[in-house]
Amino acid sequence: MSDRLDELERRIDELRAGVRRAMRARDGARARELRAELRTAERSWDALVSGEQPPPALEPPRLVTVREQVHQGLRLLGAAAQPRLIVAVSDAFFGGTIRSAQLTSLRRDEERSFRSAPHGRPYYLSAALTDRLSPARGLLTLSTWPLERRVVGPLSPRVDFLTCAIAVASQEGADGRADRLLIRMARNIPGATGGALGPPDPGRVIEAARAELRVHRERDTRDRAELARRAAAQLGDVARLFGAATLSTIAKETTMKGTINGVKAE
Amino acid sequence: MNTLDALRGTTPPRPHDARAIAALAANPGCARRALLDGAGIDKDAVARHLGFPAPFGQSPFAITRGNLFESLVKADGCAELLRMLRELLGLPVAEVAYHDVENVGAHLRHTHTRALIDRAAREGQDAGTLYDHPLLSLEIAGHTAYLEPDVVAFQLGGRFHIVEIKSFAVVDGQADPAAVAAAARQAAVYVLALRALLEELGHDPLKVSHEVVLVCPENFANRPVASLVDVRRQLAVLRRQLARMTTLDRLLAGLPDDVTFDLRPGEDGRPTRPVAELSDALRGATARYAPDCLSTCDMCFFCRDEARQEGSSDLLGRQVRDELGGVASVAEALGLADGERDPAEGQEEIARLLRNAERLRRECLT
Repeated sequence: MSDRLDELERRIDELRAGVRRAMRARDGARARELRAELRTAERSWDALVSGEQPPPALEPPRLVTVREQVHQGLRLLGAAAQPRLIVAVSDAFFGGTIRSAQLTSLRRDEERSFRSAPHGRPYYLSAALTDRLSPARGLLTLSTWPLERRVVGPLSPRVDFLTCAIAVASQEGADGRADRLLIRMARNIPGATGGALGPPDPGRVIEAARAELRVHRERDTRDRAELARRAAAQLGDVARLFGAATLSTIAKETTMKGTINGVKAE
Repeated sequence: MNTLDALRGTTPPRPHDARAIAALAANPGCARRALLDGAGIDKDAVARHLGFPAPFGQSPFAITRGNLFESLVKADGCAELLRMLRELLGLPVAEVAYHDVENVGAHLRHTHTRALIDRAAREGQDAGTLYDHPLLSLEIAGHTAYLEPDVVAFQLGGRFHIVEIKSFAVVDGQADPAAVAAAARQAAVYVLALRALLEELGHDPLKVSHEVVLVCPENFANRPVASLVDVRRQLAVLRRQLARMTTLDRLLAGLPDDVTFDLRPGEDGRPTRPVAELSDALRGATARYAPDCLSTCDMCFFCRDEARQEGSSDLLGRQVRDELGGVASVAEALGLADGERDPAEGQEEIARLLRNAERLRRECLT
C-alpha cells in the first residue's frame, strides 16, 4: 500500500512540474490536460491515505482531451464544421463529453502553441480561410488537410454540409443519438427523407446528398483551387493555418490592386 | 435642421436602430416622439433625468433565446434556411452561395455590403444567394442610422428578400398578432434601407420584394418554419413618417422660439438641467399616449403620468379613445354620462350613448 502511495506522490510531483512547464510555454490545452490527470491522481492519493478503496468507476478509461475529441469529430466529418456540429458528432459516435462553450478558445490556444513551437504537434485544430484569407467565423478544420479543403468559397458552406451529412450517414451509430443527428441533417437535403417521419434510410440520405453535391461540385472546386493557390502564395506558416489578420489582408489586396472574385478590394 | 439641433442642444445625438425606427411607425400621431427622434435626442436619458426611467429593452432571457434560435437557423451554411426558402419561394437547388459579410471586420461591413449587393444587382443570379450579417444604412432626419437585418436573400426571380428571424412561436399556423406586427414593421425598415441602397447604386429599388420572409419556431418545438409577410402597409406608414420627420417645420412652428430639450450635460456627462424646466419644455410638444407606448417608447412613463394628471381618455387605450371621439378627458365623459354636463356642439351623439350606458349600468347594479 505504501508503495502505491509513493508511486502516486512521484506521479503528482511530475504532473505538477509538467503543468508549470506547460504554463510557461503558454500551452493552455496541454496544461488543462495535465491538470485533469493531476486531479485524478490526487483523488486516488486521498482515497488511499484515508484507507478507502477507490471505487473502480473513479478510474475512468484515460480522459480523452477536448482537443482529441474535436480531432476525432473533424476526422469523421472530413470537412470544415461549426463547433455545434462537431459536438453533436462527438456525442453521437464517440460518447463525447465536450460542450460548444469549451471550443471557443481552442483555436486561440492552438495558435499560441504553434507560435511558441511551430510544427511541434502531429496536428493542429486550425481555422478555415475566407476569400480574404482571413479566418472564417466559427469554423474549425484540421491542419493535416490539404488547403483546398480548408478554404471556403461562396458554395463551400453548403458543400461542406453535404459532405458532413454523407459522413454521418455512412457511420454506424450505436444508439438513438446518431439517428437524431441524421434526421436533423437529412431534413435539409432535398429528397433525403422521402416524407417519412421515422429515422431516414442512410443509403437514401447519401444518394440525395451526392445528387445535390453534383450540382455544386464543379464551381466549388474551381473556387477552392483558386483560393488555395492564393493562400499558398501569400501566407506564411502561421497565417496559412490560422488565417491572416483582416486589416493586413486588405492592405495586401490594395497594394496588389487586384479584384477578388469580382469584388473590388476596399 | 438648425432648429432641430437647437432642440437637442449640447447633448450628442443618438443613432437610431431598427426597433426605434419601427416604433415610429407604431404611433405616427405623436408629435413629442417625432420631435425627439427628429432631433436625435437620447429619449432614455431624458426619461431618466425626469425621474421616469422606463424598464425598457429586451429581457436577457429573450435575447439569449433569440440568438440561440438564430444560430440554429443559420447553422451549417444556413441549411435550415435554404430548406425553407426552397419550399417557400421555389429556390433552385443550385442557388446556395453564402457570403458572410462580417468576415471583413466590423469597420468595413457597410462598404462590403454595398459592394456585394451592387454586384448581385448587376450580375443577376450568379452572384450569390444569401448574405449573412449585412449592414445597411438609412438617413433619418439628417442622421445616418446603421441597421443590421438578419439575412438578405437573393433568389432567381432577380429580387431581394429580407429574412427576419424571430423567436416567438407560430402555433398551429397562428402567431401573436402584436409580435408579427412588430416584426413586420422592423422588416419594413430593412426593406426601405435596402431599397434606398439600390437606388443610390443606380438600380431599380423595386428589386427588393415587399414580401419579407419571417422565420419562427413552429408549434412547441424549436424547428423553424418560414412564412411570407406582406409589408406594403408598414412601408407606406414608415415612408410617410420619415418624410414627416424631415419636414418637421409644422410641428416646430407650434413650439415657442426659445424652447430646447437640452439636458446640459456637465463635465462628467450627467445632465444639469433643472427637471421642472425640462418637463415644461416637453409638455409644450403634445404627446399622443396610448398604453401600447409602454412597449415601444422610452418616454412612456412620463407621458402616462401626464395623461393621468389630465385624466385623459388616452389612458384607456386607442379603441376607447377613438369611440370617445371629441371627449378629451375621463371626467368629461363621466359628466356627460350622468347628465351633469351638457354636451357641447358635436358631442350629442356620444353623450346619448354614454347616458344609455350609464342607465344600463345602474339597472344592472340595483
